[in-house]
Amino acid sequence: MAETITVVLDVNGVGKEISVEPRKTLADAIREDLGLTGTHLGCEHGVCGACTVLMDGEMVRSCLLFAVQGAGAEITTIEGIGDGGELHPMQRAFSEYHGLQCGFCTPGMILAGIDVLRRNPDPGPQEIREEMGGNICRCTGYQKIVESVQAAAAEMSKEGVSA
Amino acid sequence: MTATQSTGWIGVSAPRREDALLIRGRGRFIADVSPAGALHLAVLRSPFAHARINGVDTSAAESLPGVHGVITADDLEGIGAFPTVWRLPGQKECHTPALAPGKARYVGEPVAAVIADSRYIAEDALDLIEVDYEVLDHVVDVEAALAEDAPVINEHMGDNVIIEYTFPGINALGVAGDLDGAFAEADEVITGRFRIGRYSGVPLETRGLVADWDDLRQTLTLHSESQVAHLLRTELAAALGIPETSIRILTPNIGGAFGNKWDRYPEDILVSLASMRLGRPVKWIEDRRESLQATVHGRQQLQEWQLAVRSDGALLGLKGRVLSDQGAHLHSVGIGPAWVTGAAAVNQYKIANYHCDVLGVATNKTPNSTFRGFGGPEAMFGIERMVDKAARKLGIDPAEIRRMNMIGADEFPYFSPGGAVYDSGNYPTALAKALEAVEYDRLREEQAALREQGVRRGIGIGSYIHVSGFGPSAILGMLDYYTGGYEGSTVKIDPHGRATLYTGMIPMGQGTETTLAQVAADHLEIDIANVRVVWGDTDQTPYTGFGSAGSRSNVAAVAVIKAIEEIKAKAVRIGAGLLEADPEDVAYGDGRISVKGAEEMRSLTLAEVAQQAYWGHKIPEGDQPGLEATYVYDPANFTTAYGTHVAVVDVDVQTGKIDWVKYVVVDDAGTIINPLLVEGQIHGALAQGLGGAILEEFVYDEETGQLLSSSLMDYLLPSFTDLPDFEIHHLETPSPHTEGGFKGMGEAGCFPAGAVVANAVTDALSDLGIEVDETPVTPARLWGLINAAGG
Ligand code: FES
Ligand code: FES
Repeated sequence: MAETITVVLDVNGVGKEISVEPRKTLADAIREDLGLTGTHLGCEHGVCGACTVLMDGEMVRSCLLFAVQGAGAEITTIEGIGDGGELHPMQRAFSEYHGLQCGFCTPGMILAGIDVLRRNPDPGPQEIREEMGGNICRCTGYQKIVESVQAAAAEMSKEGVSA
Repeated sequence: MTATQSTGWIGVSAPRREDALLIRGRGRFIADVSPAGALHLAVLRSPFAHARINGVDTSAAESLPGVHGVITADDLEGIGAFPTVWRLPGQKECHTPALAPGKARYVGEPVAAVIADSRYIAEDALDLIEVDYEVLDHVVDVEAALAEDAPVINEHMGDNVIIEYTFPGINALGVAGDLDGAFAEADEVITGRFRIGRYSGVPLETRGLVADWDDLRQTLTLHSESQVAHLLRTELAAALGIPETSIRILTPNIGGAFGNKWDRYPEDILVSLASMRLGRPVKWIEDRRESLQATVHGRQQLQEWQLAVRSDGALLGLKGRVLSDQGAHLHSVGIGPAWVTGAAAVNQYKIANYHCDVLGVATNKTPNSTFRGFGGPEAMFGIERMVDKAARKLGIDPAEIRRMNMIGADEFPYFSPGGAVYDSGNYPTALAKALEAVEYDRLREEQAALREQGVRRGIGIGSYIHVSGFGPSAILGMLDYYTGGYEGSTVKIDPHGRATLYTGMIPMGQGTETTLAQVAADHLEIDIANVRVVWGDTDQTPYTGFGSAGSRSNVAAVAVIKAIEEIKAKAVRIGAGLLEADPEDVAYGDGRISVKGAEEMRSLTLAEVAQQAYWGHKIPEGDQPGLEATYVYDPANFTTAYGTHVAVVDVDVQTGKIDWVKYVVVDDAGTIINPLLVEGQIHGALAQGLGGAILEEFVYDEETGQLLSSSLMDYLLPSFTDLPDFEIHHLETPSPHTEGGFKGMGEAGCFPAGAVVANAVTDALSDLGIEVDETPVTPARLWGLINAAGG
């Protein structure tokens, strides 16, 4: 067995010590060592965005980071979205507006959508397309994702919640 | 919609039951299946397009700590390969082996496999395998592969021609056209030569497998993303030499499939065999590079057409030659897609005189096989470009020439000279509706005005047919397609009156679980919450040789309806006994069994009858206890979905970039079960059609035979900013051939997209005399055309 090192990862508010090879990616550590399989791998080379997680509130691609680089950061994955058992308005909107088909890109898309609204609570369709341009969906043709994000924005401004 | 609802479940946008898990990241995809003690497999792939393999030295790999085994071709003694299920007469067999035996024929072909404690270690071990390759001359261009002195890829074939198949232009009634007469009568003969690019489904989730052999029970549990698990089970049993009863295939969530996951693959054998030999679960997840190299490609054809036309615009005859670039081996469907191209090429037009030669040609490339559209989009590219060329030559508006040649609404069933029978439709109305939606006349005026200002706006029209709902099994037999076209469904009513439906269909994003539940709820007249759908377990679901492919939810839906009819009839018989009435006087309605005319007084709920059915105390003579039925539905005919798309684009002659102004779809998929999901399918298929029209391409280097697009940095999937908003309108002509009137529609969106874009760009650049006859129309390719034309 190759040499391993110990890292503490703080994911969705829970800190956990894991022991990993230094070359292990953050995505693999989240999936295999923490068992949070909602973070998906579509390319493992930084193009598709399926592996998107939030690190200290910033969107990152967990396939491009090593697990050790996650130490000390607050990481949020799709499993940490929503409030307790309650769905986040973005999750509800994706379902209601058919913003997902196979669901493989969806965790990354939902996080990217939340990230867009954090920066701009009321984006137009073109802004959403540009802001989310780094996440690829192979199923939907995007239009329904754009509609989902707009619907979530409307819902959130009505409820007075911020992303 | 009320909280509980018993009728009207067809035609409503019921929320998808698939979503609850997926939006929470709780779906279970193949990479998420991790049995305890699982080992990981990695595949060594040929780095050369064509090379003899003189030896494979695995000793260093085997001695790496953490490695449990290595499989090479020498270890496959007694192990078979998967057959090609579509075996057209004259087709030379060159199907895909599990590991390249003695020779690799394309970059990415599996050469060996390593099984280790982790994927990381398995990949380390791949680097330690020494393969003695003797590099051979290769050929990656389809015309070069036909040359006298071309390297022969499959020696036993003698040359690279896999099959030469002729469509003689005889319709299903046996009526032959008069092609020579048509060309003699023609005022003009329009010619076209089209290169349709190689691209594919490229699901966001790559392929993967988890095999778990139980040595004591002698059973193999295979977690697989196959779109047709039962057929995989049948073929895998034969390849491995074990009884089919030993294999159970479980299907996880599937992250997109698009036909690519319909095929059987070498890894299905390798991963299963590894688990059987090592007695441990074995997991393989394809990485993206492997996926681009070794998951089947699609489309690529070189077409040559001649269209005989009269000066008044009548299309008299069509003759063509289609070279299908098959890659190195035949995969699961043989040259099937190219066959479909030949069968569908006359499209919506009354062209009675037709001839087409289809050649399947081997090249040193990844096998070209199943991909959403399956030969249809290629056919539409050819004919829709030809019709536009004819219109330009004759000075007739492209919309008008289409309208005047379309099959009329009163001419169905229509027997096409391609051999297909078109069931129903109203082609001219779909065209008219599309023109109206884009305000065609105003658009033409606007185009002229913009041209004055130096803006090159183009309008592209493309009409299509999609022969879907494949097909009566007897016809598949006549086509030498060795699988059935039926779909089965088992419906069981439990003693509480709730329904469980078992289907061989595999949800992979299209929402099958939801739509079949809608069909069942509608026909049982119960609330959809009381319907459960079971899929993805070959131990439980009815056999299907076709599965989720070819837009066949319509076929599965009919199987559900038919099974429910049997259940309702039995419930009526049992209910009549309980109600002490003549069965003739009893009817099923609103989820109840009631005496006609006395529904208020003498009536039982489905649950009451079901309870009785399971007690078995009062079963009418000739009936068995219980309340369930299985129906295997073999469709009476194919269904033909159709429609027209119109695109409006602006072309920047400085950069070759295409900007979307508008994209309108009018389609007819018969009776619609769930409008929101249908819209989603159209969007998704269209996105894939447009991807292949403007961006996506597997590019091979002529010099080296290397696949240049083997990352998502080089193989460009359309992103948010590459695609337009789509405007969709429906016609709903119920199919006369299927109960419920459903037509298959999961693919239709991609059919005309390539032609529509090429027609629009050609129209935008008409003053430069540019014809867009090659896809994808990338900015670089378009800029090259513009530059060559002096624009
Ligand atoms: S998996 Fe990380 S970007 Fe694709
Ligand atoms: S829903 Fe399948 S990739 Fe986006």
